[in-house]
Amino acid sequence: MKSKRILSGPYLFWAVSFIIIPLLMIVYYGMTNQDGAFTWMNLAKITTPENLKALGLALLLSFISTIICLLMAYPLAMILSKINVNQTSFVVLIFILPMWMNFLLRTLAWQTLLEKNGVINGILSFFHLPSLSIINTPYAIILGMVYNFLPFMVLPIYNILVKIDKNVIDAALDLGASNFQTLTKIIIPLSIPGVISGITMVFVPALTTFVISDLLGGSKILLIGNVIEQEFKQGSNWHVGSGLSLVLMIFIILSMALIAKYDKDGEGNAF
Amino acid sequence: MKNTIQKIYLGLIFVLLYAPIVTLMVLSFNDSKTRVKWGGFTGKWYVRLFQNEQIMNALYTTLIIAFLSALIATIIGTAAAIGIQSLNRKFRTIMMGITNIPMLNADIVTGISLMLLFIAFRFSLGFSTILLAHITFNIPYVILSVMPKLKQTNKRTYEAALDLGASPVYAFFKVVFPDILPGVFSGFLLSFTMSLDDFVITHFTKGPGVETLSTKIYSEVRKGIKPEMYALSTLLFVSVLFLLILINTSPQKKENAPKKARVSKTAKAAHLIFRRVIPVTMAAILVAGGFFYGSKNKISGDNQVIVYNWGEYLDPVVLDMFEEETGIEVIYEEFETNEIMYPKIQSGAIAYDVVCPSDYMIQRMIENDLLAELNYENIPNIKNIGKQYMEQSRQFDPENKYSIPYCWGTVGILYNKTLVSEPIDSWSVLWDPQYKDNILMQDSVRDAFAVALRYLGYSLNSTDLDELEAAKELLIEQKPLVQAYVIDQVRDKMINNEAAIGVIYSGEAIYTQLENPDLEYVIPKEGSNVWIDSWVIPKNSKHKENAETFIDFLCRPDIAKINFDYITYSTPNTAARELIEDPKIKNSTIAFPQPSELEHCETFRFLGDKYDAIYNELWREIKSK
Repeated sequence: MKSKRILSGPYLFWAVSFIIIPLLMIVYYGMTNQDGAFTWMNLAKITTPENLKALGLALLLSFISTIICLLMAYPLAMILSKINVNQTSFVVLIFILPMWMNFLLRTLAWQTLLEKNGVINGILSFFHLPSLSIINTPYAIILGMVYNFLPFMVLPIYNILVKIDKNVIDAALDLGASNFQTLTKIIIPLSIPGVISGITMVFVPALTTFVISDLLGGSKILLIGNVIEQEFKQGSNWHVGSGLSLVLMIFIILSMALIAKYDKDGEGNAF
Repeated sequence: MKNTIQKIYLGLIFVLLYAPIVTLMVLSFNDSKTRVKWGGFTGKWYVRLFQNEQIMNALYTTLIIAFLSALIATIIGTAAAIGIQSLNRKFRTIMMGITNIPMLNADIVTGISLMLLFIAFRFSLGFSTILLAHITFNIPYVILSVMPKLKQTNKRTYEAALDLGASPVYAFFKVVFPDILPGVFSGFLLSFTMSLDDFVITHFTKGPGVETLSTKIYSEVRKGIKPEMYALSTLLFVSVLFLLILINTSPQKKENAPKKARVSKTAKAAHLIFRRVIPVTMAAILVAGGFFYGSKNKISGDNQVIVYNWGEYLDPVVLDMFEEETGIEVIYEEFETNEIMYPKIQSGAIAYDVVCPSDYMIQRMIENDLLAELNYENIPNIKNIGKQYMEQSRQFDPENKYSIPYCWGTVGILYNKTLVSEPIDSWSVLWDPQYKDNILMQDSVRDAFAVALRYLGYSLNSTDLDELEAAKELLIEQKPLVQAYVIDQVRDKMINNEAAIGVIYSGEAIYTQLENPDLEYVIPKEGSNVWIDSWVIPKNSKHKENAETFIDFLCRPDIAKINFDYITYSTPNTAARELIEDPKIKNSTIAFPQPSELEHCETFRFLGDKYDAIYNELWREIKSK
């Protein structure tokens, strides 16, 4: 079997070149100043009031979005999992199809929908309902996050729910458990890995986004992703940008640890 | 009862998911340039789409990258999966850990880390770096699709094949490979889709001159998305939808049914879709793209001129006329801000022939020796440009050697007469609490600071730190009143009555008034910015004479007039102004303000890298408050 091991060689080379070394580059940039000397200053930049606020807000908004996604996705996945199995492709179709429309355009479309004189307010005023003014506020950003990342919560939960052995549920019901008890004692505990996978799949991108906050926040609301993006793209300081990315990595590593704990096969459940 | 609730719930989610998509589809039939106004039904964007070389190029780049990255990732990933499978447990865990990094890592961190790597090793950013980056984030998807299949393969059959005399390679392709093929396939298709939809990683690893659809859209956000883009996405979406319906209703499905049961773990559901829909779509699109690319290559001769201009800043008709009259082929690219344009010229990655920067940026380019001197013998039509504008240009081009004015204008306040209580004549309204959430502010450093500095009575080229600090405090004080910081979206939002007051360029003001007569433009009494955008020729231009012919063509009165009608930015071409029929526009004080109105106006100057950094730092402090 030795010859087979060689097959992982190209990948090993690739992974070291394009995954490991780049990460080390971030560490290097994050730990040095412009003259190449070692410093903690870039990491310490996270404690300036502006950056702390951006991080705090990003954590808060992504936390809320994750919770909303979970609350919306779980019942949804349950309903979908009960639909005839032959329609599996239909289920995925609903959630994958929108991806063929560019995600920037889809997010932009929410601007048209949410604006003061936008489509939704047009409908509301037609029915003489109070108008909705959430565009350019954190609420619009949460909406954008939920909209964009909901499929990443639904699919893992759905995938795990359809795999639960129906006999287990029947057994529980036969043994006198109520529907509610079956749900809390059997279905939910069995679906935890899917839930965890979904949470990380939503939380990490939501925490680090700069696009959604840009498009739906009217450039008024700065999240940590925006701060890092500006450090790099508007040319000011790559060292600080890397330092802040390192701070962000802490949260990502926490998520990976969480996944590793529940997903012992190391295969991921998302897709 | 329970069923009804479930159906309603599904329906609501469906609406949430598809409302934006329906919106985009509707917009693709809108006969108005702005997305906020319904101008009647039209199919013209679908026709224009195929004439729009930039969008088609971006589409093709996107597809090529998606295809190549998916293909290479599939080869490396499949080999890797087989290799990893045969490693002992410890190494396997390590390898799978590494594989998980790009999947779980934030896109922004992955993108940045790759950018740092490419730059450290002197890779010039461009097509190949995007491709490398996409392969990198695609490999894990392939490995994770193939691994579960490998686990299901029966080792004994492979060993039996070996015992019966097959070579390992032969045995692999005859015995193992057919078993893992569905996994390989779904890995490929997953990769293709991920590559197609990626924006963030491409954003960081792309170089000048290369655009994918995502980055193109992102750069258009500031200027307003071109309706052709809606048309393109609608086409993509509808064709995928159509293929899906076609495939799902075809009788073949039943034959596959027993196989389905064996599919497990990873992509159970996803790849069923992917492996049917995408190949067909992909083939269709690639063929179409190939057609387009082939037809495009034909015309690429040496007799061309590469133009780099602001977005929406030239009537496309003028380009056609130029090509027809001179036989010179125009390659046209657009930028959104001076700051985005500058590094591309500086890097010299693409040899542009004609560029249209603003005053202070021209000064910077001259100082950094990036521009070629113009040969006026080739530009006789310069006589049509008003003397006063050449004089004004001396502020940044002291001897008029490098630049020829193209458009000029002021920055002022656009307000909606029905939404404000009294006529406006001062920047002070931008700090008036009664207009809370009704103010649109410019989202660019210099413009925003210009407003505050002039309001305080300082020069908008101030380098006095106390003055800048005061301006910063003022802008922070203003922030709660601001509805949004925007650049060109002011136009759409004001037309749509989204806000009462907006800071805007005078050229946009004329257009907005045509669309919404309630709008009025004013140059505040404290003074403002008067700017000139001029044509220049970069030093590394390869078609300098063509470039001069192009500039000369644009200076012809009839051409300048056609162009003015389209872009509505004030022309310095006095002969062209004489040709304007509508007296209201000919004598418009917005397009052609009286010298007295410009008394307090200044032109931006380049302040040097040090002050650039200070402005940027202060601006960030404002934005994060």
